[in-house]
Amino acid sequence: MSDLAALIAQQSINGVYLGCLYVMVALGLTLIYGVLNQINFAHADFVTVGAFTAFFAATRLGTKMLGLPDAAGYLLSLFFALGIGALLGLAINAAVFAPLRERGDELRPLIATIGVSVLLENAQLALFGPIPYQFDSPFARETIRFGRIFFTGQSVLVVVVSALAIGALYAFMRFSFWGKALRAVAQDRETAGLMGINPGLLIGLTIVIASALAGMAGALLGPVIVLTPFAGASVVVKAFAIVIIGGFGNVQGTIIAGILVGIIEAFTVQYLGSGLIDLVVFVLLLAMLVVRPTGLIAERKEENV
Amino acid sequence: MRRWAYFGIAIALVAAAPWLIATPYWRGILVLCAMNVLLALGLNLVIGYTGQLNLGQSAFFAIGAYATTILVKTYHWNFWLAAGAAVIGAGVLGLALAAFAVRLRGHYLAIASLGFAVITYQVLVNWESVTEGVRGIYGILPPVPSTVGLYYLIAGIALIVYWLMDNLVRSPVGDTLRAIREDEVSAASLGVKSALWKAFAFSVGAGVAALAGVFYPGFVGTLVPDAFNIIESFTMMAMVIVGGMGTMIGPVIGAVVLTFLPELLRGFGELRLMVYGLALTLVVLFMPGGIVQLAKRK
Amino acid sequence: MLSANNVSKSFGGVRAVRNVSLTVPQNTIYALIGPNGAGKSTMLNLLSGVYQPDAGELAFTGQSLLGLAAYARVRLGIARTFQKIRLFKQLSLIENVMAGFHIHQDTPFWKHLLVGDTGRFRDEARELLEFVGLGARADHRAGALPYGQQRMLEIARALATRPKLFMLDEPAAGLNPAEVDFLLNRLVDISKRGVTLLVVEHNMDLVMNVASRVFVLDHGEPLFEGTPREVQAHPAVVEAYLGGEFAAESAA
Repeated sequence: MSDLAALIAQQSINGVYLGCLYVMVALGLTLIYGVLNQINFAHADFVTVGAFTAFFAATRLGTKMLGLPDAAGYLLSLFFALGIGALLGLAINAAVFAPLRERGDELRPLIATIGVSVLLENAQLALFGPIPYQFDSPFARETIRFGRIFFTGQSVLVVVVSALAIGALYAFMRFSFWGKALRAVAQDRETAGLMGINPGLLIGLTIVIASALAGMAGALLGPVIVLTPFAGASVVVKAFAIVIIGGFGNVQGTIIAGILVGIIEAFTVQYLGSGLIDLVVFVLLLAMLVVRPTGLIAERKEENV
Repeated sequence: MRRWAYFGIAIALVAAAPWLIATPYWRGILVLCAMNVLLALGLNLVIGYTGQLNLGQSAFFAIGAYATTILVKTYHWNFWLAAGAAVIGAGVLGLALAAFAVRLRGHYLAIASLGFAVITYQVLVNWESVTEGVRGIYGILPPVPSTVGLYYLIAGIALIVYWLMDNLVRSPVGDTLRAIREDEVSAASLGVKSALWKAFAFSVGAGVAALAGVFYPGFVGTLVPDAFNIIESFTMMAMVIVGGMGTMIGPVIGAVVLTFLPELLRGFGELRLMVYGLALTLVVLFMPGGIVQLAKRK
Repeated sequence: MLSANNVSKSFGGVRAVRNVSLTVPQNTIYALIGPNGAGKSTMLNLLSGVYQPDAGELAFTGQSLLGLAAYARVRLGIARTFQKIRLFKQLSLIENVMAGFHIHQDTPFWKHLLVGDTGRFRDEARELLEFVGLGARADHRAGALPYGQQRMLEIARALATRPKLFMLDEPAAGLNPAEVDFLLNRLVDISKRGVTLLVVEHNMDLVMNVASRVFVLDHGEPLFEGTPREVQAHPAVVEAYLGGEFAAESAA
């Protein structure tokens, strides 16, 4: 295999791995937008909380208290992060989205989620401090070699978990009653309500699923990012970029866009260094907003998985 | 005539404050408070009066700080000339953000402005040859040597900005901005060129934020990009909304309350910073008109 | 005064307006009617600049309107109201009307900055509010008004622009009979002051009693144009409305 080909292949795999992580975060955002026409600015902070939860679950609970082997501890922490994410979603729905839904005011819930975001960040700052935590995933130590291409166990885990999550989501939305009801509510809330579907319940369910995904994404992201209470800030605008490129509410678009951003990041790191990745992505975001605010893949809006 | 009375009282309060609060630490907080008032006023013009959801103000605050400091330290400009250039530069950049506001509404604009703030932050971190990045710039002197002097300078500027803005919003300009906030389509049917007025609001808002930024490095002594993280945009928004968005006195109240409250809560350790988030969330949910709304109800 | 020549407009695949030509003579009250979905509001939006036509010409007092944005047409003397009332709900009545004087504000900017409120146009704003019967409530919040009065406020605000041509989109919709009478009354008054009126309407009382010429649209295409009497009697028009209101009117 030539050097260049190996390089491209390596970065592409890295890109897909990163992309899957971002997709997990962005999916939650796009799901919430789909049913509620609202953006949850605190979403990325759910990711951070998920990461910290996973950290403590894996290290304190998993290995120290229960004496589990590292790998099992880490996998356990995924579930904890999922659960915490779901709880956060429940809380924000009950506190912010549900009470403000009838008013039809677009901006108040958005600002309220900004408030929640600041609250969560400062709460975590108070609890955990500003110094980055070292979150080691046991899977990251395993390297698998395929010719000249390396990947870690972690990247395999990430791809597997996200594929499972996305697959489960897809099946849920396509085949289950609740899933179809969700799509109905996303398309036309009033009529769905008239058909006997309780929109409030559906919306709550969506937010819980979305936040659970965010939490779990945090657990998977924890080992990869600089884990501070402000970790969410660096993820949030990237997640927004993905959702905008893919089209708000468009699940397929978000998945494609997420992988795309991951690949762009992987290649940019190679040539420009990590400091400039964020810059590149955000400039792309702004360019996107100027040229096509509805997203690259907006035509597919009708087909929401 | 009543307006003059209120202004008189305000000037008296502002003048007396450093003598009522005599410790150096709290006088420093007063300086911070004056800067926050400026920041809140700038943001309020864009969000409160023109109705544009602008989360990018931290960028202009940063530009005011960095442009002034770099011009003075590296190019040996006179402080006041540098400050003027920084404010005008920020105003011009505000026009760029306004261009987004013309095309985007609501949450799209919020995200675009946030992206703008993040890009600015990243430029500050990465353009090390000019900004020293995360290493920071040290040994920055304020234009006025004493804390009290600095306070009077900034508070005086804030008073002037307040007076000018108050005039503006009471004039037909205010009518026009609020028309854009309430309903852009019917505003157009009355002949309002909303693109023009958005440009106006954004560039003034940016300039005022930069004006606060100009004095920040001198006050702190050092300059690092982290002081201009996007959470600053959120904090500014909290001040405007908690105080009362869309009024003139609201942002001032919000800035004062949210500057002093965390200080008064020092006993609670780091948890006191949660005040910002808590206040913002609770106000938006239960008291959307802010503290001003509370006063009106009585 | 106002002319449209072979104007067409489509949205996606839907042809809202097709080859419509009309001329609104000066100093008339001109009605634009047609069944639901006929394209009346679209036509009004094209004339006021909310949409640009796909084809055809629009002109006002000889000047072409093509490419001219909505806000720019106001300076030429065109004003309008909206089918779904668009008021500045958080502002007071007088603040709403004052906003209407926007294009007539000629105070230099520095005066706004240093002096603030000069009180200019305040008296004229009050007069306009009196004219529509809202003088007593000048400082009330616009959003708190009952529907019929909101409509009148919208009219007062549009009049502040001192238009030569005033276009109204279904002004009588949602008004009770007393309010419709008052509206008719006011419209006639406005017309007497030399303002040309173009009214999109469903309410036949208004059309028949007040309009001097009527243009009928059906499915985006022109159906007929003439005096109210002529329109009333025209068989195709009656058919387009499926009997209903028209049949009752012509029998009366």
